[in-house]
Amino acid sequence: MKDPTFWLLARASGLTAYVLLTLSVLAGLAVKSRPFGRAVKAASATDTHRFLSLLALGAIALHAITLVLDQTVHIGLAALLIPGVASYRPFATGLGVFAAELGALIIVSFPLRKRIGVRAWRRLHFTTYAVFATATAHGLAAGTDTHRLWAFGLYLGAVFAVAAATAWRALNRPIPTKGVTRVPDRDRPLPV
Amino acid sequence: MYRIVIDHSLCSGFGDCADLAPEVFELESEGRAFLRAGESDDPAVLDAAAACPMGAISVVQVEAA
Repeated sequence: MKDPTFWLLARASGLTAYVLLTLSVLAGLAVKSRPFGRAVKAASATDTHRFLSLLALGAIALHAITLVLDQTVHIGLAALLIPGVASYRPFATGLGVFAAELGALIIVSFPLRKRIGVRAWRRLHFTTYAVFATATAHGLAAGTDTHRLWAFGLYLGAVFAVAAATAWRALNRPIPTKGVTRVPDRDRPLPV
Repeated sequence: MYRIVIDHSLCSGFGDCADLAPEVFELESEGRAFLRAGESDDPAVLDAAAACPMGAISVVQVEAA
């Protein structure tokens, strides 16, 4: 019998990556909508969002490496980089490759935001929704545990949470800043 | 004494700076942050720089004149 260690690790790290991605999206939405009001420091939400994004990327890397090392399904290095090349469920695994690559691009774009331009950077950042949707489809279609109630419930809960947090973000204006008079725009010299 | 600079090409108007150090930062109606004062003794400017999601605020410590 084949050693199932890497196969189990691959499944566990895939689910872990999905949970971390979900939490990162929720934390990212909380940066501006501030669902916990002043109970959570502004810097904490931003830090949490970045930290969770990096953790998710790490879990995805582990997911990819363990899938190559595992003997249950045959996934080579090329299949990790090119969507749809894997012999095992090529479309479903291809969705995962696409989500991982787009997600990595979004993370890499943060330190480059000035060079890219904030407007373009924000547009790119919005494609996180495509990453989340594709990762969900990948998990549902390729995941070995999808048919289990707990796993299906996890996907359902994640989609509901992201949808609810997005609605909250869209419908609620950011909490007003205290003690700040918003002044009309006027020409003023830039600070030296 | 801290000297503060906002990179206006990065500011996206989150407003956390004006929330944390209202004596130093203000938001214009378009939602961009501006400085009320270029220098301050208030260590809250450090919190404001840390809280900026875009990393648009730089603070350097300078000798008081």
